[in-house]
Amino acid sequence: MSDAAEAHIEQVHHPGATTYLIVAAFLVVLTAMEVTVFYVHALRPVLVPLLLILSAAKFALVAMFYMHLRYDGTLVSGIFIFPLAIATFLLITLVLLFGYLSHHLAPIINLGGG
Amino acid sequence: MAAQPKPLPIFQPNYLEGGGLLGWLTTIDHKRIAVLYMATALVFMAIGGIEAMLIRVQLWEPNNTFLSAGTYNELFTMHGTTMIFLVVMPLLIGFFGNFMIPLHIGARDVAFPRLNALSFWMALVAGITLHLGWIRGGLPDAGWFGYANLTERYFSPTLALDWWVVGLLISGTSTILSAVNFLTTIITMRAPGMSYMRIPMFMWAMMITSILILLAFPPLTVGLIFLLLDRFFGTHFYVATAGATPILWQHLFWLFGHPEVYVMALPGFGIISEVLPAFSRKPLFGYPMMAYSIVLIAFLSYGVWGHHMFATGMGPVADSAFAITSMLIAIPTGIKVFSWIATVWGGSLRMTTAFYFALAMVLEFTIGGLSGVMHASAPVDLQQTDSYFVVAHFHYVLFGGVMFAILAGFYYWWPKVTGRLFSESIGKWHFWLTVIGFNVTFFPMHFLGMWGMPRRIYTYAPDLGWTGLNQLETVGAFVLGVAFLLFYINIYWSLRYGEKAPADPWDGRSLEWSVASPPPVYNFALLPNVRGRDAWWILKYGRAGSRGVAAYVAGQPPKPPEPEAPVDLSHVHMPPPSIFPLVVSLGVGLMGLGLIVGWYRIILIGGIVTIMSIIGMGFEYKDYGQAVHDPEHAPSSGGIDVRKVGVWCFLGSECVFFASLISTFIVYKSRSIGAPGAEILEIPLTSFSTFILLMSSLLMVLALAATQRGDKVWERIWLAGTVFFGLIFLSGQAYEFTHFYHEGMGYTTNLFSQSFYTLVGFHGAHVAIGVLWLSVLLVAAITGRLGKSRALSIELAGLYWHFVDVVWIVIFTLVYLMQTVHGA
Repeated sequence: MSDAAEAHIEQVHHPGATTYLIVAAFLVVLTAMEVTVFYVHALRPVLVPLLLILSAAKFALVAMFYMHLRYDGTLVSGIFIFPLAIATFLLITLVLLFGYLSHHLAPIINLGGG
Repeated sequence: MAAQPKPLPIFQPNYLEGGGLLGWLTTIDHKRIAVLYMATALVFMAIGGIEAMLIRVQLWEPNNTFLSAGTYNELFTMHGTTMIFLVVMPLLIGFFGNFMIPLHIGARDVAFPRLNALSFWMALVAGITLHLGWIRGGLPDAGWFGYANLTERYFSPTLALDWWVVGLLISGTSTILSAVNFLTTIITMRAPGMSYMRIPMFMWAMMITSILILLAFPPLTVGLIFLLLDRFFGTHFYVATAGATPILWQHLFWLFGHPEVYVMALPGFGIISEVLPAFSRKPLFGYPMMAYSIVLIAFLSYGVWGHHMFATGMGPVADSAFAITSMLIAIPTGIKVFSWIATVWGGSLRMTTAFYFALAMVLEFTIGGLSGVMHASAPVDLQQTDSYFVVAHFHYVLFGGVMFAILAGFYYWWPKVTGRLFSESIGKWHFWLTVIGFNVTFFPMHFLGMWGMPRRIYTYAPDLGWTGLNQLETVGAFVLGVAFLLFYINIYWSLRYGEKAPADPWDGRSLEWSVASPPPVYNFALLPNVRGRDAWWILKYGRAGSRGVAAYVAGQPPKPPEPEAPVDLSHVHMPPPSIFPLVVSLGVGLMGLGLIVGWYRIILIGGIVTIMSIIGMGFEYKDYGQAVHDPEHAPSSGGIDVRKVGVWCFLGSECVFFASLISTFIVYKSRSIGAPGAEILEIPLTSFSTFILLMSSLLMVLALAATQRGDKVWERIWLAGTVFFGLIFLSGQAYEFTHFYHEGMGYTTNLFSQSFYTLVGFHGAHVAIGVLWLSVLLVAAITGRLGKSRALSIELAGLYWHFVDVVWIVIFTLVYLMQTVHGA
């Protein structure tokens, strides 16, 4: 493809270095918060939701700004988010199915699960 | 030497002419690749068919000794594996998909022609690998579903299952690459005016099938990787005594296996949706509903895998959920059947062989669909599981539905592919013998199943009352064998003596009929401007399809298309052939071969050949492949580059791959027996690694920004920084693994260790690939081959790098920070 055609296709505006640095700062802060949550014993009861929220925030920042989902339109967002939703569904379903097996059937069929 | 696309000369032969053997070995033309798929699949179809007939001979009478039990197991395993992976999928996706997608959407080739060739050669390597057991180690004998723990080394000590595992891994990779290619092609390369609601229904089917493949094959890949690790490296992913559960294989396999049914069925639905309107001279009834029902079928198919596992005792909640989704899927399927009937109803029918097969498909598939609804009910399914009723059901779906559609497609598109017509009289004999043979073979299996005959048994006792129907089925199988012999004879007859086909022998509706039979290399001299659904029909008869029918029925000649004037082809750029896809596939095959037979030097050689030829592909074109894409082809992707869409499609598939690995880790963490467990994980070290990887992503985007503004100095600095940070991350991982090893956590110590090392190791392998990719780009930058106009090359590598980063964000949370959480 010629440079002109290339330029025609790539008209999408991407953010500059400043935005990237601000996102990086957020990522560092969020990671620090994650590690802190891990070490603070008082937060153990809400450990899972807190970590999931922080992790999701980091994931979203990288995907939206560094991978440019925020700028590249709905097409690529759809191509990525739909499989991501399916992957999440798969993960949750498998864990639930095996959790159910382990907790409810282990005494009966001696699976040895915890 | 870097090859470059050149303007085509004025005269171009059709795609079948010229080039000789080297031309076929190096072809990247989608039509030639389709023909290669077809030829390969027809060979394997003969092998799979003979295997089926041998099975039926063995079941002719009780206590038959024609085959041993072991040979019988090998035959039904290879019959299923061959027919699904080496016949039906290559024909539907490799042959029809490859040939028709660019022609249907008005493009000159697929989005990634060399990747397309790579898919074929890898599929061929996979097919050969699956059959190498004939030479050494025996054939696999654990069924096409390969249930654990029959597949463990302890129960299958020979090489037979090794060929199967490696062959399927290569085959799966090839299929995923095809899906990336086809999905990208349909999204980005549709002709001007061809909106989604104007593409032929076969394109809807191929688009959604590609999505299904991308989402359904990764669980199988992960399941096979676990099996490979169990067999070669002593892990225990499916060994119950180690705390693991063979049920994990069933989940991973059927997460692939049931969508796989629709990976085979949807293209068949698409073919029928092309054939019926063409021979009814009516537009497809209910086009939008047909399209939406394909989408709904695909979506639901991802949530029904559990109905294959009712007998494993998932519990009433899971059983109920899977029963509901399995029943729901009958609704969109029913919409399709009624729409096909309505399409034919009141049409001006032409009773060709293709039309016969299409009509028969609707009937036979409906029978298979109805018995499928029975399986959705858990109590009923429990009675039918592992009985011949199930064999009857899936043959009505896969043969009655899919193979009939394939045959309809063959008779419909053969003139376009070869430029020759089939013999209609042989075709009709082929059809009737197929219908008779098929129903005589498979319908009695419903009764045998209900009478209690289990599947996969190699013989039976004489007093069970099964002999008569078994003999009837064997007769039917031989009738079917004769029918397929006629099919092969018809192929030979057509190629040798067949009448030359005009461009539009069936008065077709879609764009493939607007070009010569067989088509020229470039498909379309001028890209078509699409004005509505049934684009070619509209060109011939005017805008309204119904008026077209009326004109035809009234005997009015169709409005002739513009006569073909000599066209200047200097604006047409087609990519040159490439030997690299073949070489990469050979390298992959060598690695698999070396692994199986234990020749580690062969693995090394194969690895080097693979990596070097992939890098060679990257530099084959002076502009890194940018000129491959037709400059006059306005992208239909809203301005997003073809390659970017392709990378995103691949990353979507990777999401499911890592989800399968992560869910296994979470499940097995809780089931692991003995120390060490998750407490061994060190947060300070991993937090540092996380920081490093996040910062590498920052450097990556800074490199991209520098490239986009033409700053070559900072482009190199940031790229080098990214590579350096990637290497620090990998060093940290190497240190961590070594430390754990010295702490007593070997790879196979327990379930925790093996699932941890496998998950984190695969992530590390992705990082290593990213480092290699970026290093190649860094060398290109230093030697002045990058720059502002090549910023997309940096962006694509960056997308992959950031994806590796977000996967690590998830792993860091779920594996390291939630180490004390035991949810499963």
